[in-house]
Amino acid sequence: MLELVDVSRRFRDVVALDGVSFSAPQGQMVGFVGPNGAGKTTAMRIVLGVLEADRGEVRWRGRPVDAEARRRFGYMPEERGLYPKMRVLDQLVYLGRLHGLDATEAPAAARRCVEVLGVPDRVREPVQQLSLGNQQRVQLAAALVHGPDLLVLDEPFSGLDPVGVDVLTGVLREQVEAGVPVVFSSHQLELVERICDSVVLIAHGRVVASGSIEELRSRGDRRLVRVECADAAPGWEEMVAGARVIERFTGGAVFELDGGTPPDAVLDAARGAGTVTAFSVVRPSLTEIFREVVAG
Amino acid sequence: MSATGTTRGGRRAVRLVSRREFVERIRDRGFQISTSITLLILVGLIVASSFTKPGATYALGTQASSDVIRSIGNEVSSAGDAQGVHVGISSVDSQAEAERLLRDGTIDAAIVEGEHGPVILVQSSPPDQLVGLVQVVARTALARDALANEGVAPKHLEAALDQRPLAVRSLEPPDPHAKSNSAVAFVGVLLLYGQLFGYGFWVATGVVEEKSSRVVELLLSAIRPSELLTGKIVGIGLLGLLQLTLMATIALFVSNAVGLLTFPAGALGAAGLVIVWFAIGFAFYSTLFAVAGSLVSRQEDLQNTMTPISLVILASFFVSIGALSSPDAPLVKLASFLPPSAPLAMPPRLILGSATPAQAVLSAAISIASTVGMIRIASRIYASAILRTGRVGLREVWRSRRTTDQATGVRST
Repeated sequence: MLELVDVSRRFRDVVALDGVSFSAPQGQMVGFVGPNGAGKTTAMRIVLGVLEADRGEVRWRGRPVDAEARRRFGYMPEERGLYPKMRVLDQLVYLGRLHGLDATEAPAAARRCVEVLGVPDRVREPVQQLSLGNQQRVQLAAALVHGPDLLVLDEPFSGLDPVGVDVLTGVLREQVEAGVPVVFSSHQLELVERICDSVVLIAHGRVVASGSIEELRSRGDRRLVRVECADAAPGWEEMVAGARVIERFTGGAVFELDGGTPPDAVLDAARGAGTVTAFSVVRPSLTEIFREVVAG
Repeated sequence: MSATGTTRGGRRAVRLVSRREFVERIRDRGFQISTSITLLILVGLIVASSFTKPGATYALGTQASSDVIRSIGNEVSSAGDAQGVHVGISSVDSQAEAERLLRDGTIDAAIVEGEHGPVILVQSSPPDQLVGLVQVVARTALARDALANEGVAPKHLEAALDQRPLAVRSLEPPDPHAKSNSAVAFVGVLLLYGQLFGYGFWVATGVVEEKSSRVVELLLSAIRPSELLTGKIVGIGLLGLLQLTLMATIALFVSNAVGLLTFPAGALGAAGLVIVWFAIGFAFYSTLFAVAGSLVSRQEDLQNTMTPISLVILASFFVSIGALSSPDAPLVKLASFLPPSAPLAMPPRLILGSATPAQAVLSAAISIASTVGMIRIASRIYASAILRTGRVGLREVWRSRRTTDQATGVRST
């Protein structure tokens, strides 16, 4: 398990991280979300030791992270980068060796990696001759080549087409199932909601919400119901007492319930107005939670 | 800051980085081509210089219509041969022809009829050695004519004019290798300058390449900045040493084959000196070049941060060229002990016999000690500048806390 405990970092007068704590347990995919400039990249760089924390601690398997442990981490920086003139396979072997693989393990691991990621026929070419999509795959291979104990990926899905997203999701799932904690940042909240086990929401250098997706969605005080109602008179929504319309669509609406209002109240009002075809309690989406906590 | 490579993992990282630097560069087609071209030029120079005869060669025009001038010409030619100066005589019909030959460079000087006897004609500034020779011969010849006209018997005349030249006695015996030593020292300084600058520049561009391609962040997630810096310097430095050794070996071999150098022991020693001083100089300069590279994010901006270093190397180079003619000048002596210039100024002094081995050891010790200090300063700047983008100010990175070294360091040990 990876733990950040009260990690802070400032750059001159700008506070980038202000007491950030969260953890990524074994076998979990953790989405790291937050607006631009919230401190996601700084936090990841501190985990990888590329930046130093002013205060706080990064712990791995219960102990403060040292160089030896970090060598077993896999990282994909937001600023993608490989040696442009170095051949793909050589590059992966080199990075694998820097991460501690020996001279026989590294080439085998590099070959395995490019095969899994689907670039095996281009491995003798310099990286700069590959298409952007293939470069992205090699970048992922660079994070995976040494069979890391922990994966930290900064915006790994940005710039991928839907097929690429599926491939990457599959690869990350495999890692998680093999027991590797995966932490990745993303702006694609629907994607995070779909594939992550838990989410850490960060804004202005602080963790504003964290937990499993389910916890987050049911955590809010807001209770929403969605009603579809055929042949109701226009404007019936306004007649419902104890609830407020927050979204209207053809043939229905989403209501937010006031303090003591039971969901039935809306259902009863809808029945009175027309024929109810659908009725459900709505949990807020990650996007809605995001908007709410970031604005608040 | 913990020193580089103190841990086993650190040494391993340095070894891996230096091997990558070495292998990737030696594989580079551009490197192979430029090395071949340099070797070809070197061999060409050696072979070409073996064809030029030792001593000077001149062409003298003499006006055919004058017996006096013709005989002066012949005497100049034989007097020249006695002094190791070859003077070729070509006869000219008129002053106009002499002028034409002077202008097109066929002859270096001409003796023609003037109003008051023979005149030496040159294009602009006279070649001293040739003109001196002509003056001596002409004065003797004219004196002989004048005395003969006064009725001095030819027997007495020759005895009076044939005086031995003054004997020369040197306080120190002349070094029979002085000329070739000077040539070896010149080639040595040239090679040192080229290698120090060329390979230092490679360190700088290598640092920028990692910065501009952003691969540095990936590297620093696995190893420390000081390990990356040390590995890069060691790898590129070893390649420089290898190339220098290759050039020296081939140069010595070819020189020996064409018979230019007949003192393999001395030349071998000089080659060894150049190689050792390259190692010392490269250790010093490469850290500076690495700092220059770490301060910019694009190759185009490198020129600005490298200029001070280039100027220091260039100044050291000129002082060392001066050392070839006056190895005992105070400035040269001073330069041969100062760390930035010692790697260029000390080898020629040693080759020319102006510095003692003890002085060389002292100078090397000063250089190495200051290099250790330089590495500490340079790695601090490098470590805090390497992850910043844009043009980074020196003062700013010096003051800022290191971004990485401590964090990736061995906190647990």
